[in-house]
Amino acid sequence: MLQYTIRRLLSLVPVMLIVSIIVFMIVHLTPGNPAFLILGEDASAESVAQLEQQLGLDKPIVVQFFDWLKNIVTGDLGQSVYSSEQVKTIIASHIGPTFSVTLLAIFIILLIAIPVALFAVWQRKTLLDPIFISVSLLGVSIPEFWFAMLLVLGFAVTIPIFPVAGYIPFAEGWFEWLYHLILPAFVLAAVEIGLVARMLRDGMLEAVNQDYTRTARAKGIRESVVLMKHVFSNALIPTATVIGVMIAGLLGGAIIIETMFTIPGMGSLLIDSIHRRDYPVIQGVILFIAAIYVLVNLCVDLLYAFLDPRIRYD
Amino acid sequence: MHKKVRYPFILFIISLLSIVGLAGCSDAGTNDAVKDTKNEAAGEPVTSGTLEVAIASDPDTIDWMYTGATVTRDVGWHIFETLFALDKDFATKPMIAEGFETNDEGTVYTIKLRDDVKFHNGSVVTADDVVASLERWRKVSAVGGIAGNYIEDVKVISDVELEIKLNEPYSSLLADMSAPKQALMIIPAEIAEEAGEQPLVPEQLIGTGPYQFEKWERGNEILLTRFDDYAAREETDWGGLTGEKIAYYEELKFLIVKDPQVRVNGLKTGLYDYAENISPDLYEVLESTPNIDLVTYMNGYSTVIFDKSEAPFDDLKVRQALNHALDKKTIAAATYGNEQFYSFDGALFVPEQTALYSDKGFDQYLAFDQEKAKSLLEASNYNGEPITIMYSNNSENYKKISQIAKQQLEEVGFQVKLDPYEWATYLERWQDPANWDLVVVGWSTRFSPNELGMLGLGTASSGWYDSEQWADSVARWGVVETEEQKKEVLTEMNQIVNDELPFLKVANETRLDIKSNKITYDSWLGQRHWNTWKNE
Repeated sequence: MLQYTIRRLLSLVPVMLIVSIIVFMIVHLTPGNPAFLILGEDASAESVAQLEQQLGLDKPIVVQFFDWLKNIVTGDLGQSVYSSEQVKTIIASHIGPTFSVTLLAIFIILLIAIPVALFAVWQRKTLLDPIFISVSLLGVSIPEFWFAMLLVLGFAVTIPIFPVAGYIPFAEGWFEWLYHLILPAFVLAAVEIGLVARMLRDGMLEAVNQDYTRTARAKGIRESVVLMKHVFSNALIPTATVIGVMIAGLLGGAIIIETMFTIPGMGSLLIDSIHRRDYPVIQGVILFIAAIYVLVNLCVDLLYAFLDPRIRYD
Repeated sequence: MHKKVRYPFILFIISLLSIVGLAGCSDAGTNDAVKDTKNEAAGEPVTSGTLEVAIASDPDTIDWMYTGATVTRDVGWHIFETLFALDKDFATKPMIAEGFETNDEGTVYTIKLRDDVKFHNGSVVTADDVVASLERWRKVSAVGGIAGNYIEDVKVISDVELEIKLNEPYSSLLADMSAPKQALMIIPAEIAEEAGEQPLVPEQLIGTGPYQFEKWERGNEILLTRFDDYAAREETDWGGLTGEKIAYYEELKFLIVKDPQVRVNGLKTGLYDYAENISPDLYEVLESTPNIDLVTYMNGYSTVIFDKSEAPFDDLKVRQALNHALDKKTIAAATYGNEQFYSFDGALFVPEQTALYSDKGFDQYLAFDQEKAKSLLEASNYNGEPITIMYSNNSENYKKISQIAKQQLEEVGFQVKLDPYEWATYLERWQDPANWDLVVVGWSTRFSPNELGMLGLGTASSGWYDSEQWADSVARWGVVETEEQKKEVLTEMNQIVNDELPFLKVANETRLDIKSNKITYDSWLGQRHWNTWKNE
């Protein structure tokens, strides 16, 4: 297990290297120049050239790449073109909001998806099953931005229960934190609940007619216990995979939701940096997201062994 | 055995969902619970509280000297002040300065400072600070660079007195020094020297304004607090950026809210007190919303700029043909919608800028005549090659202008290709004449002929304009003495643009902001949150 973990962690290195090369290429091949953006439309050619020199943008691109790579290896992600703040500091200050909203969304997803899926399997022979399928399909198909607008209009403007936007850090009071995050977290969750519930239901339906389930029932165990103990736990592996990918995706920042609710998280950081051509920040954020993907997937793989004792990594 | 309760339960869920849906679709303005009387009486000023302002973008820097960006200006002028500043009629008045004297030739300016003006770090403003700020202004500011060409020497006479010696008479010196764009803001000498040609970092944001910089969470909020030692002037009737300024709020919080719908919803629900840059399309809806007041002010004008460095627009006839081909009234009506938000005037400055406005010299401004356009085009060097209109798709207005212009140009025989880009790409492509023939873009309000970026000789922003007449005229502007001479030069400038057509002016633009009806506020240009308060 330990050996496996180390091997997987080492595989991070080539992945990150490939990601960094691709990101650097894409970012620098995109037209646009931060010097023009900073100085505005009526800047003189001299002042643009001078600023480019200050920012190191006048060097050949290969030189810029190796300079950057050299710093990355030593753990230095560089400085923002705009604020001259360290990219590390900038990422650290944006991870909190994204982490909060992800955490809450996952909590809502599990809170709703698990009971709903269990209920659907329990009532699998009734009319509830096709209704469950349609509703979950509807959930998956709802466009996030539309649902967010609807919720804001309904529960923030017309009936002002929740704030329309904004983010309060946890440190400034847990209630305000939660209060501001409920709507965005719910929107993020709504799209995923259907998916997770469907995965769970399908996994359970497969297990529900297996020999071991029938044996359990034949022993006279109550249906609810059979469902929880024998059916549910066997459906967890595919669901864990889906949730893993979901967490990684959410931690990378939900651009639309963060913009609509003005949450200063990773998603809005990324989109702002792209508009500003803040190269070091874009590169840093994407590397960070790539690392999260790899690490979350590793955690999910390790979780398999815990969920299913038959799985061994030695 | 659960079957009996199930269907009512499902019905209940469905009806709940439809209620939410219907509530979402209904007109939010019908909410009677928050009805308040509009334009509530100003009442006694309230000296407390936090003003929450939703701004549309995060500034790149709050260094008001370094960049001409509007968002930098709107935050910056709460923190910083200039030696001289514009009053409500856009005339130059002293601000940090007490007054000035010139010699008879107009080549030596002796400026006296008020002796009680304090920086936010507690030190008193001295002539040394002014000299250092002036030095930096000449280096980093485009306006400062132009004025700097005339400055031979700056000398400290005493703590509160300095002398500026010019190499030749330059009568717009004070106007340039009071221009609220890349402004000559006064900062402590050590900061001016330390920063040099770099933009000020947050720790260096030390000015003399009624509010001081507290913190900046990038992408989220900028917080200013009241400066208790602020030395206010006494003139209550000057307005604009000078005269008496009172900071009624304890805190000024600029929240960065990019989504325009969120700015409107936030104001409706009381999350914000003031929100900038609202689409004029919402004018009618917002006007009837009970707790919202509208704030409007001039915001420059929209233009079409020609690439005059190569065919076909190096030929004046082709430019004239284009001027006759465009029906600006149709374009503006379709672009801006409500008549409150545009006006037709061909001058280089807008009528509110009384000191800079001349109402003569633009008889070709509204010269829509398709037949004439066709005959001019016939007689020109244009041979049917497709012309490229480039614009930024970040702006709905310039997109619309481009699209309608294309249609109107094709009616008289131009071949037109539209080329939209995202803002950053667009700015870069603008630098190369091979990329475009026409650019559609807006220019914020300018305060001196030197600041008219669309007429900067030989630059990409002017489409490589080259004109001896314009250069002469700008030089003459530097030595005008009387108001009459000023008007003469301004008329002449209008006339040159009218005759040479380096660019086309489409229409003057008015901007829409919104505020809570609890705020007592006096609109001028941009947003200024001194002398305003929130009624409880």
